[in-house]
Amino acid sequence: MIDTKVHNKNMAHGGVRNLNYFSNAYAAAVSAVDPDAGNGELCIKVPSELWKHVDELKVLKIHINFSLDQPKGGLHFVVPSVEGSMAERGAHVFSCGYQNSTRFWFPCVDSYSELCTWKLEFTVDAAMVAVSNGDLVETVYTHDMRKKTFHYMLTIPTAASNISLAIGPFEILVDPYMHEVTHFCLPQLLPLLKHTTSYLHEVFEFYEEILTCRYPYSCFKTVFIDEAYVEVAAYASMSIFSTNLLHSAMIIDETPLTRRCLAQSLAQQFFGCFISRMSWSDEWVLKGISGYIYGLWMKKTFGVNEYRHWIKEELDKIVAYELKTGGVLLHPIFGGGKEKDNPASHLHFSIKHPHTLSWEYYTMFQCKAHLVMRLIENRISMEFMLQVFNKLLSLASTASSQKFQSHMWSQMLVSTSGFLKSISNVSGKDIQPLIKQWVDQSGVVKFYGSFAFNRKRNVLELEIKQDYTSPGTQKYVGPLKVTVQELDGSFNHTLQIEENSLKHDIPCHSKSRRNKKKKIPLMNGEEVDMDLSAMDADSPLLWIRIDPDMSVLRKVEFEQADFMWQYQLRYERDVVAQQESILALEKFPTPASRLALTDILEQEQCFYRVRMSACFCLAKIANSMVSTWTGPPAMKSLFTRMFCCKTCPNIVKTNNFMSFQSYFLQKTMPVAMALLRDVHNLCPKEVLTFILDLIKYNDNRKNKFSDNYYRAEMIDALANSVTPAVSVNNEVRTLDNLNPDVRLILEEITRFLNMEKLLPSYRHTITVSCLRAIRVLQKNGHVPSDPALFKSYAEYGHFVDIRIAALEAVVDYTKVDRSYEELQWLLNMIQNDPVPYVRHKILNMLTKNPPFTKNMESPLCNEALVDQLWKLMNSGTSHDWRLRCGAVDLYFTLFGLSRPSCLPLPELGLVLNLKEKKAVLNPTIIPEAIAGNQEAAVNPSSHAQLVGFQNPEDDHLAKEASCNISAHQQGVKRKADTPLGSPLEPGQILEKNEDSSKVKLKIRFSNSQDEEEIDMDTVHDSQAFISHHLNMLERPSTPGLSKYRPASSRSALIPQHSSGCDGTPTTKPQWSMELARKGTGKEQSPLEMSMHPVATAPLSVFTKESTSSKHSDHHHHHHHEHKKKKKKHKHKHKHKHKHDSKDKDKEPFAFSSPASGSEISVNILILEMRKPLSSSFSHDQFPLIFISHSDLFLELL
Amino acid sequence: MADTATTAGAGGSGTRSGSKQSTNPADNYHLARRRTLQVVVSSLLTEAGFESAEKASVETLTEMLQSCKYQETIGLLPVNQTSILILLICFNVDTLPAYAKRSQRMVITAPPVTNQPVTPKALTAGQNRPHPPHIPSHFPEFPDPHTYIKTPTYREPVSDYQVLREKAASQRRDVERALTRFMAKTGETQSLFKDDVSTFPLIAARPFTIPYLTALLPSELEMQQMEETDSSEQDEQTDTENLPLHISTDDSGAEKENTSVLQQNPSLSGSRNGEENVIDNPYLRPVKKPKIRRKK
Repeated sequence: MIDTKVHNKNMAHGGVRNLNYFSNAYAAAVSAVDPDAGNGELCIKVPSELWKHVDELKVLKIHINFSLDQPKGGLHFVVPSVEGSMAERGAHVFSCGYQNSTRFWFPCVDSYSELCTWKLEFTVDAAMVAVSNGDLVETVYTHDMRKKTFHYMLTIPTAASNISLAIGPFEILVDPYMHEVTHFCLPQLLPLLKHTTSYLHEVFEFYEEILTCRYPYSCFKTVFIDEAYVEVAAYASMSIFSTNLLHSAMIIDETPLTRRCLAQSLAQQFFGCFISRMSWSDEWVLKGISGYIYGLWMKKTFGVNEYRHWIKEELDKIVAYELKTGGVLLHPIFGGGKEKDNPASHLHFSIKHPHTLSWEYYTMFQCKAHLVMRLIENRISMEFMLQVFNKLLSLASTASSQKFQSHMWSQMLVSTSGFLKSISNVSGKDIQPLIKQWVDQSGVVKFYGSFAFNRKRNVLELEIKQDYTSPGTQKYVGPLKVTVQELDGSFNHTLQIEENSLKHDIPCHSKSRRNKKKKIPLMNGEEVDMDLSAMDADSPLLWIRIDPDMSVLRKVEFEQADFMWQYQLRYERDVVAQQESILALEKFPTPASRLALTDILEQEQCFYRVRMSACFCLAKIANSMVSTWTGPPAMKSLFTRMFCCKTCPNIVKTNNFMSFQSYFLQKTMPVAMALLRDVHNLCPKEVLTFILDLIKYNDNRKNKFSDNYYRAEMIDALANSVTPAVSVNNEVRTLDNLNPDVRLILEEITRFLNMEKLLPSYRHTITVSCLRAIRVLQKNGHVPSDPALFKSYAEYGHFVDIRIAALEAVVDYTKVDRSYEELQWLLNMIQNDPVPYVRHKILNMLTKNPPFTKNMESPLCNEALVDQLWKLMNSGTSHDWRLRCGAVDLYFTLFGLSRPSCLPLPELGLVLNLKEKKAVLNPTIIPEAIAGNQEAAVNPSSHAQLVGFQNPEDDHLAKEASCNISAHQQGVKRKADTPLGSPLEPGQILEKNEDSSKVKLKIRFSNSQDEEEIDMDTVHDSQAFISHHLNMLERPSTPGLSKYRPASSRSALIPQHSSGCDGTPTTKPQWSMELARKGTGKEQSPLEMSMHPVATAPLSVFTKESTSSKHSDHHHHHHHEHKKKKKKHKHKHKHKHKHDSKDKDKEPFAFSSPASGSEISVNILILEMRKPLSSSFSHDQFPLIFISHSDLFLELL
Repeated sequence: MADTATTAGAGGSGTRSGSKQSTNPADNYHLARRRTLQVVVSSLLTEAGFESAEKASVETLTEMLQSCKYQETIGLLPVNQTSILILLICFNVDTLPAYAKRSQRMVITAPPVTNQPVTPKALTAGQNRPHPPHIPSHFPEFPDPHTYIKTPTYREPVSDYQVLREKAASQRRDVERALTRFMAKTGETQSLFKDDVSTFPLIAARPFTIPYLTALLPSELEMQQMEETDSSEQDEQTDTENLPLHISTDDSGAEKENTSVLQQNPSLSGSRNGEENVIDNPYLRPVKKPKIRRKK
C-alpha cells in the first residue's frame, strides 16, 4: 500500500507511474463507490436512538442540503459573453455525462437499477424554460414575479441516472402531428427546428407499430443545446441533442444523419430509459435492442441496401477493433474478482464498470450488441424477436403502474437471464450456444477461404481455415452458409464447420458446357445475359460467397479469380457482395477490372455507395496500371458525360442536386480522381485543371440545395492532388520557390477561406476542408509548417467542427515536428477548455495520432510529460469519466502498460518498513505483473505487511507511518484510492467529528485522497475510533457492502470537504435542493429523506433529521403505509412552506455558472424521490444511506 | 431648357448667360428684341438731333428701355410702383398721343424674323390613337403613331452558353477576389508564409460569441437565392430549351416540391388553426400567479 503523501515525497523521481497499477487501483476505486453494488460516497449513519422508530415502521426523513457552485461536471453551462440578460445572451445549462453520472449534480442512488417516482421543481428566471423528465404539471411565478417554478411529475418509476435537466431561453415548438411532443431550441433557430423535427412523428409511428406498444411516457421532449457532451443523449421522456444537428431544408448531407440521431434517441426511450438494466453486465441487452430496432427503422426508411451496407460497415468496424485490441465482451461475468479471472486482461482498463471503459471500447460494445441482437433474430426470426420486445415492454408497463408494490418494479429492469428466458419462452428455441459464443465470450472469427473445382467429380472443393490464435479471435464451430453462383443458377449450401474439417465438397449443379443463349438465373430470381467469355471454360462457377448474410461476426478473406470478382461486382445484386468485390478488385489492376468498375459507375440502378467506393477503387487501379493506361484520366470522361454541359464539355452544368444519388457521385468522383498519379507519381496536370475548372464554373444560383458540402469536397480534392514537394537541400519554403500548381491551389484555398468569413457555409464545412488542405500542403513541404494558424482556429468561440479540424492539424504538427510546445498547448487545452467534447476529442486525436508510441525514441517522451499525464488521469479529470478514460488511453498509447521507459530508475531499490522493521523492494521497480498483484498480497487483517514506503531520510517519518497505519485500517480497498489522489494542502484537513453517536457522514471520492486528509493523532486513537464504528456496524448493514469492503472501511469519516455536503459555512450557497425519499415498500419500513433548502443548516440539524431504518421483518404493512404516506406528504408540504418563508429573504438559491461567474438565474431545485424500497436489492435495507457522489463535493470549494 | 429655367430663376444674370449660348429660340427672341430696341434708341437719338453716340451710352439707354419693356413683358409693370412712378415723372402722359403722331418720327422696320417657326404640315402616317375613355376629350391628342416606333440599337448579345458561363464565372471570381483582398487589407490577416503577407492574405480568424448561429442559419444570400430559385424554377420550365436534360429533372422535382407543399400545407394550416383551440401543451399554458400565503 502506498500512501499518497509518501508517494509524492519519495517517488519524486518517477513514482509508480505504471498503467497496470493505475488501472487496478482505478477499477477498485470505482468499485468502492459503485452504486450497483450498494456502495456510495456519502454514507449517512443513523443513530441508534432512532432504530426503534424504524422497528415501528415510522417514516424517517433525511434532508440533504447541498449547493453546487460552479460544477465542473454533471451540469454544463453555456454562457456567451455578450451584452444583455442571460436570456438575451442565449445562456443555457444542461445535464450531461457518461452512463450513470447524475450524482454529479445531485445526491442520489446513482444506479440504473434503483427506480423511484419523481417530483421535480425548478425555479428559474422568468425568461427561461426548464425542461426535465415527466409531465410539466404547472408553472408558477415566484412572489416577486421575476422567476417561475416548473413543477414536473414523473410517475413512471425511473432511475436517477435517467434524470436530466435543460434550462435556457428556449424557443418552444409543439409538434404539429403529436401534441404531446414538444421541441426546444435556442433562440433564432426555430425555423431550423421546425424543419428538423418535422420528420419525428414517422419514427414514433414506426416504433410503436413494430413494438405493438405505445410510447411509454405521456410526453416527449427534444432539446437542442450548444456544446453538447454527446450528439444524442436519451433520458426518461426527454432527449438532449446537439444544436448542430439542426439544419434547414437546403442541406442534404446532414438530413439523414440528423434523422438517424433522432431515431436512435427514440429507440433508447423504450430500451434504456423506460426499461432500465439490472446491472452493468446487462447493458448489452439494452444497447442491443435499441440498436436493433433502430436498424429496423433504417431498413424501412433508407431501404435494404442502406441497411445492409450499414450492417457491413458496423461488422467491419467491430472486427477491426477486436482484432486490434483483443476483443469486446458483451456480458462480463466476474467470479471472485481474482486477477486471473479478469476476462479482459488484454485490455489496459477494467471492463467491470462502465466508468473505467475506454470510450472507443464502449462505442464498439454498442456496435457489437446490436449485431449480436441481429444474430439472435436470424436464429429465432424477427416475429419472435418483436414478440419478446413486446413482452418486455408490456410487463414493464404493467409494473410501472403498480404504485405501491415496488417489487413489481423489477420487471422494468432487464437482465441478461431474463431476456434469454423470454426468448426461450416465446420462440421455444435454445439460443444458448449463440449466447455463449458472442455474448459470454469475446472475439470474432477470421476465415480464410479458397477453392478448387474438381472437374471429374463436378465438385467444388472448398477449403475454409480459421485463425483462432491471434488476439481478438475465437474458434467458430457450427453452420456456415456458402452461396455458389453457377451457370444454372445460385445455390445455397450450409456447411458444418467442425473442429478438424477444413475441406468441404460441394456438388455443382451445372455442367460446364454452356448454352450460350441461355440466360443465367440469379439469386433473386432475375435472369440476365452475361458475357461468359472471361470465365474458365471448364468450370461452371461464376462466384462464391461465404456467409453472405453476415450471420457470424467474422472477417472473411476469400480467394477467387479476378473474373469471378468482376462477375460478382456486375451481377450479384447484394450491395455487400458488390462492396466486397470492389475491395478485392484493388488487387487485380487489369483492363477487365477497369471496365467492370466503369460499368458500375455508370449504372444508375446501382446503389450509390457502391458507385462511390468504385470511384476510389478505380483510382487505385489506374495508379497501378499507370504505365499501360490509355485514354484520358480515369473517370474524367465519365464525369464529363454525366455532369458537364453537352456543348462545352469543360464546363460543369449549373448545380442541380435534385437527384441525391448523382449528387453524391458528383461530389465523390473528383475527390477520387485527385488521387490519380502519373508515372512521376504526380497528380496529372489535366486532373488538377479539371478540378480547378469545376471550382471555377461551380454555379449554385439555380439550385434548391446548398452546395457547401460539394464545395468542401472540391477542396478535399485539391488537397488530395498534392504530392510531396521536391525539396532541394531542405531549403526553407518561401513564396519564390512555390510550385505553380500549388500556387493555384493556394489561391483557391485563400479565396474560399476568406469568403467563409463573409458568407459562412453551413457548419463551416468549407473552412474545415480548407484547414485540412493547408495542413496537407504544410506536410508535403509546399508551405512552411506552422501551427499558428490552426491554433487561432482552435480557440474557444469558433464553431466546434472548425475547432476539431484545427486541433487535428495541431495534433498532427505535434507528431511530425515533435513539438514540445504544441504538446503542452494541447495538454493545457485538455485541462482548461470550456467544452467537454473538445477536451475529449483532443485526447482521442492524440491517441489516434500519437506524437510517439511505446517503443519509440522521442524527445517528447520525458518525465515531466509522464507526471503531467499521470496527474491528469488521477486528479485532473475527476468530473468526467470519459475524459479520464481518454487520458488513460493516451497514456497507454504513449507508454504502454508498464513503467514508462523515460523515467529514471528509482533512487532506492529498497525501502524500509518501519513498522515491520524490514526492507521491502521498492514497488516502483517491481515488475509489471507483480505490481499488478501486489495489493492482493496485502492482508487486511494484519499489520504485518503494511508497506508504507518510506524514505529513511524523511523527517516526518513517524507521523507518516502512523498515517499509513490509520489509512490501512480503514480498509485495504482504500489503498486503491490512494494512487489516484493528489496531495492536498494541509489546511484543508478538517477536524474529525468525535461525537460518533451522531450521524456520520462519509464521503468517498472516486479519486479520493481522503487517506492523508484524516488527521489522526495517533494510531491508538484511530483504532479506537474504528472499533467504535465496527460496533455500530453490527446492526444490519447493506449486505452488498461487506463483500466489497472490509468492515473497518465503514468507519465514518468526515473528509475535508464535509463543508460541502452539509452546506455549513458557505455564506451564499449557490444551489440547493430538497430531496425527499419515501419508502412505502411492502417489506420495508418507510424511509423518507427530504432535503431542506436551508443552505446554512449545520451538521447537527442534518443529523436530527436523519434516521436509519432497520427492516428485516416487516411484511404486511403496505395498506397501513398508504395512509401514512399521504399524511407524510402533507406534512412535507408544510415543511416546505416553512422553509420557503424562511428562505425568502436569504435568497439562498442560485447557481452560478463557471463561464462568467455571474449568476444564471436558475434556482431552486427541489426533488422528491418516492421510492417503495424493493426487497430485491440487498442494499435497500439501509441503516446507512449511500449516496453515490463521487465528485460533486469536491467541486464545492 | 433646364438651363434657361435656372438662369431665369437666377434673375439678372439671365441676359448674360443668355448671350453666351444663343442657340435656343428663346435667346434668339431676346437678341432680336434687343436689336430692335437698339434701333429705337438710335432713331430717337437721331430725332433728338444727335449725329453720333458712343456705343456705351446707346447701350445704357437700350438697357433702360429694355428694363421698362422687360418688366412690361414679364408682367411686373403694374405691380412695380417705382417703375410707374419713374414713367410718370419722365413723361407727361397727355402728350403721348401727340408725340406718337409727330411728323418727323422714324419708322422702324420690323425686325427680321430669323426663323419663323413654320409648322410644317404634319405628315400623317396612320391614324392617331383615340383617347381612351378615362382621358377627357379636351386633352391633346396622342402623338402620331410613328413616334412610337423605336429602333433599338444595341450590340448583338453574347448568347453563346460557354462564353456566358465563362464570363459569369470569372466575374464572380474577380468580385470575390477583390472583395476578400479588400477585406484582408482593411483588417487583420494571417499568412501562410512568414516572409510574405500579401500574396495569400488570410482574413484573421475571429471567434464568435455565439458560434452556432453563423454556422447553422443560412446566410442572407442563400435565403435570397432560395427565393430566386423558387420563382425562377417556374420560368425555366417555359423558356429554357438549351438544356433538355436539366428541365426534365427540374420538372419532376418542381412537381414533387409542389405536391409536397400542397400536401403539407393543409395539414399544417389545419393544425395551426387547431393549435389555438385544441392543443393543450403544458408549455403553452399560462404561468400561474403565486398563491399568497400571508397567513403564516
